[in-house]
Amino acid sequence: MVKLTMIARVTDGLPLAEGLDDGRDVPDSDFYKQQVKSLFKNLSRGQNEPSRMSIETGPYIFHYIIEGRVCYLTMCDRSYPKKLSFQYLEDLKNEFERAYGNQIETAARPYAFIKFDTFIQKTKKLYQDTRTQRNIAKLNDELYEVHQIMTRNVQEVLGVGEKLDQVSQMSSRLTSESRIYADKAKDLNRQALIRKWAPVAVVLGVVFLLFWVRKKFW
Amino acid sequence: MGTENPNPPSYPVRPAATPFAAMQSTPPFLSSGPVAGSESSSFRPVPPASSQFRAPPFSSGPVVGSEVPAFRPPPSGRSNELVGPPPSSSSSSSHGPPAAGFQRFPTPSLPSVGHAVPQRTGQPVLSPTTRPAAGTVASPPISLLSQPQPPSIPMGSPPPSMKTGQVNGNIPPPAHQLLSSSRPNVQPSSPPVRPSYVTTPGISQATIPGYVNAQPNTVAQAQPMQPASFTLQQRGYAPGAPPTPFLAQQRSVNPPSLYSGNQMQHHVVAPPTATSPGLAEDFSSLSLGSVPGSFNAGIDNAALPRPLDGDVEPKSLAEMYPMNCSSRSLRLTTSGIPSSMSLASRWHLPLGAIVCPLAEPPAGEEVPIVNFVTTGIIRCKRCRTYVNPFVSFTDNGRKWKCNICSILNDVPGDYFAHVDASGRRVDLDQRPELTQGTIEFIAPAEYMVRPPMPPLYFFLIDVSISAVKSGMIEVMAQTIKSCLDSLPGYPRTQIGFITYDSTIHFYNMKSSLMQPQMMVVSDLDDVFIPLPDDLLVNLSESRNVVDAFLDSLPSMFQDNTNVESALGSALKAAFTVMRQLGGKLLIFQNTLPSLGVGRLRLRGDDIRVYGTDKEPASRAPEDPFYKQMAADLTKYQIAVNIYAFSDKYTDIASLGTLAKYTGGQVYYYPSFQASIHKDKLRHELTRDLTRETAWEAVMRIRCSKGVRFTNYHGNFMLRSTDLLALPAVDCDKAYAAQLSLEETLLTMQTVYFQVALLYTSSSGERRIRVHTAAAPVVADLGEMYRLADTGAIISLLSRLAIEKSLSHKLEDTRNAVQLRIVKTLREYRNLYAVQHRLSGKMIYPESLKFLPLYGLALCKSLPLRGGYADAQIDERCAAGYTMMALPVKKLLKLLYPNLVRVDYSVVNLSPQTDESNIIRKRLPLTADCLDTRGLYIFDDGFRFIIWFGRSISPDVVRNLVGEDFTGDYSKVSLSPRDNEMSRKLMKILDKFRESDPSYYQLCHLVRQADQPREGFFLLGNLVDDQNGGANSYADWILQLHRQIQQNT
Repeated sequence: MVKLTMIARVTDGLPLAEGLDDGRDVPDSDFYKQQVKSLFKNLSRGQNEPSRMSIETGPYIFHYIIEGRVCYLTMCDRSYPKKLSFQYLEDLKNEFERAYGNQIETAARPYAFIKFDTFIQKTKKLYQDTRTQRNIAKLNDELYEVHQIMTRNVQEVLGVGEKLDQVSQMSSRLTSESRIYADKAKDLNRQALIRKWAPVAVVLGVVFLLFWVRKKFW
Repeated sequence: MGTENPNPPSYPVRPAATPFAAMQSTPPFLSSGPVAGSESSSFRPVPPASSQFRAPPFSSGPVVGSEVPAFRPPPSGRSNELVGPPPSSSSSSSHGPPAAGFQRFPTPSLPSVGHAVPQRTGQPVLSPTTRPAAGTVASPPISLLSQPQPPSIPMGSPPPSMKTGQVNGNIPPPAHQLLSSSRPNVQPSSPPVRPSYVTTPGISQATIPGYVNAQPNTVAQAQPMQPASFTLQQRGYAPGAPPTPFLAQQRSVNPPSLYSGNQMQHHVVAPPTATSPGLAEDFSSLSLGSVPGSFNAGIDNAALPRPLDGDVEPKSLAEMYPMNCSSRSLRLTTSGIPSSMSLASRWHLPLGAIVCPLAEPPAGEEVPIVNFVTTGIIRCKRCRTYVNPFVSFTDNGRKWKCNICSILNDVPGDYFAHVDASGRRVDLDQRPELTQGTIEFIAPAEYMVRPPMPPLYFFLIDVSISAVKSGMIEVMAQTIKSCLDSLPGYPRTQIGFITYDSTIHFYNMKSSLMQPQMMVVSDLDDVFIPLPDDLLVNLSESRNVVDAFLDSLPSMFQDNTNVESALGSALKAAFTVMRQLGGKLLIFQNTLPSLGVGRLRLRGDDIRVYGTDKEPASRAPEDPFYKQMAADLTKYQIAVNIYAFSDKYTDIASLGTLAKYTGGQVYYYPSFQASIHKDKLRHELTRDLTRETAWEAVMRIRCSKGVRFTNYHGNFMLRSTDLLALPAVDCDKAYAAQLSLEETLLTMQTVYFQVALLYTSSSGERRIRVHTAAAPVVADLGEMYRLADTGAIISLLSRLAIEKSLSHKLEDTRNAVQLRIVKTLREYRNLYAVQHRLSGKMIYPESLKFLPLYGLALCKSLPLRGGYADAQIDERCAAGYTMMALPVKKLLKLLYPNLVRVDYSVVNLSPQTDESNIIRKRLPLTADCLDTRGLYIFDDGFRFIIWFGRSISPDVVRNLVGEDFTGDYSKVSLSPRDNEMSRKLMKILDKFRESDPSYYQLCHLVRQADQPREGFFLLGNLVDDQNGGANSYADWILQLHRQIQQNT
């Protein structure tokens, strides 16, 4: 059963619509909404995520599809059929594109299409019960190859950004370290040079000095 | 000089204009035309210097330079009063010796000034009499600027006994010495540019370029003076503005007029004692008979000041700071903020502001909307102030300085714009947030805890027998049905209903149903919701079901004989249904809640408790359940509006707390009868449902360091020390806040206020409405008095008094109000009277001339009047709750209603009678004004009382009322009839109603000498008369006067 529905623009993570009174029976819905928001933020950073994915989080599971630079995401119980969730998202997508398709890029404020929540509400009710005739029929239709949709854990997904950060941090550290190394190497080189020629120079100097002294006093 | 000023009525009203008028009286300079012309040319460079004004564009600008008559733009009594008179004397001093001045000051700037002056004089001379005077007085060139202030001259209709300037003219007000001593070089010997005249900087600025070209001779000279004067002003208000060369040369010109160049004139320098007899007197006085004991001696009832023009807002602040938000949204009780705590403690009136965040702009104006979603809203990093017209940009536009905490903030890259030489941003004209005092930002996602909620209306309807009998249900159902199309927020609007008597009835409104399903829950102690969804439905989807429900509602319960009412339990049920979304909950209550939680006792109104310590308890809420409930409701963004209809005791005091703490409103219809009150309920419910409402709002008022808003009054819940939670706000609600000083001495010269309201509009946008205003800090009590705003003071005072009446006796409350007024006037008297030896007179500042009357009206208002017999306890409480939320103008109208005579215009059958004329002819509220042959309308904004004189022609009555005009008027309602008179009257009434749409004014017909009806409706409300043991206006003034004189 659908707990939460959110629609956001992928390019900048701007929320466009959200289901009405979402999360009514989810105890800590705010926590999950927060997760969804950081997920959107990750997506907007342009990592190449597959256009369909399921992400496990606690007792629930997020499903999302990305189409036309808009991400449609829903949160369901784990037991809820994956096929139905994606069918639900597909319904939302069709209606959303029909109604607002041309305004998506120009939307300037958050929740610009909040009016869509009534449709979300309506559609959600249709998918409430998995055993209605309509839904069973949908389940039987092989509309999507949902088995191939990747399932990952939310920590992993949210962690990706973190890891990348780490890598970039490491690489930047590497650059600075190597620069230091280069400096030091140059320094060493010079020292080696000095060490190599210094005795010879000193001997020559002494010899010349002697010559000079001899010339002077004789 | 000032006194003999021959033409008071022709005073140009706008201060800016005054110099011109005055200058016309000095002829000697007519000849200097050519010189002036050359001067003028040298002055052209000035304008740019003056360009620091950030809001130059004032359409009225060009007018300034032209002819005198054109100078009277918006007639503002107050500013006029402030500045009006001086020109005569100043003209004498400054222009009298113009030649001398000219030669003595060869610097280019000064002469020009000298010239400017005479030049204007070249225009038609106003009155010959002033001329010689000007000449004579002129001889002492140093006798500068004595600023007389005959206050009452310009005011609407000056009462005969009001003293105008001359009486004590030659004694300068004390502040004067104070000032001059503190600033040694105040006494300039230069001729005179009186900076103070030009109050509206924008005006002169705008004119300059155009005029130089257009009218080189006459006008060009006028200008040099103006820029000077307002640069000066500018310096006063915004220190740090680069001084213009012009300014520099004029250093001698009145530095003292630091704050309020325009208002301080009367303080300005050396009083030419002998030469100008009409010195300033900046107060009004009232002769009350020389001996306090002699009753009624010399008191002229008709001479007492009465606000017959309605609320006159002080204009001075708006002129001083043209970029301030409108006074509709923010009104300070005094625009002069005291500079020290000791000064504040001498100001005995409340210090604070009345805020009406969503006040409707007049037709044609709109609040500009700015979208900052991409960059984020520009706010101060420390105090979180929103960017506003008063911030200054420095460092080539890379930083901006917060006007409230003066910290330097970085300007984000997207918002960067270059700054021109005078410190203005080059893109100023595209940035409404930098030029307008009121602005609306579209809030980015950070300002949302959840997606914007849809507008939601939930109805909780009492269907017990009294509701059915009174016909309330039918009217209500019809009204709601007719409003369904105009509810804001289509297509998201949500709606739901619960009815209750001794049980609670839920209605399933699922869109697929044909008829609503009713579910009855009779367990009141543990209310459960029979259905998870569909009790609250989307209106556009379930429209048919809702229609069907409203159609059948009246018939469903028509045979109901249940007398109980389980409000508390029904409230809990509604709360459970609504808590996910929030919204507006409308409760229609007909009887005292008698079952379940929150049942209320029949406390009644006992005559024996009056005058004892138990008295206030009957006005205070009894059961804490309602307050607790209100706290929960607010937390979930639910606002409650109470509609109460009962003819018996309903304990509005307790029920009203629901509305009070959730930002709602109480509507009370005592003894509701559908046949009589139908229109009223219909209109008010319609307005409640369809007016533009702001949802899930929070409001905060920020102000400069050193001052702080401490107490808030109105209908809201305080979420933290200064955050007001307002589940629903609309244009009919105002909030009051009290200001206190945190530092013993304020160092800045201007205090800024910023009101920010974050809300969700009905269309589902999250927005922030920001009002910004500036007010000068003053170091002088007289200045505070001068800048006082009676409307705001009374508004705040009445809220304080009503709150006090919940914990104190009525008598004590009234005395407290009186004491405050007495202290105020006594303080004022101490300020001026001693020097003036005005022992027998009562003196008061012009700005507060209506204060005593409004104070009296407040004491006679419904919540505070009399004792047991004077008002029903429920009416008292309901009026109290209503007055706590009223905006200033409506409150003043309620306190001092309009009384107009209409029989002439009704009887006079010529079709082109001008209705608007009638409205202007307001009469004092005293029975003496009622002519037995007349027909009068008494309009307090909530009802009309139409009074028929005893000897009015029966024809008129028959035409208006119908055949049964001799019957009982309590059963007669005024309806349009098919004759000219009735149509006329209706037209007048409609006109009145149009001007005040927030409530419906029901007509009550009253015949003269039809007691007790007449006494109840009209005579008891005539504020100026003695009624019910309360003083008449004249007695009140005498009493105040006597108390003021004690201990002085």
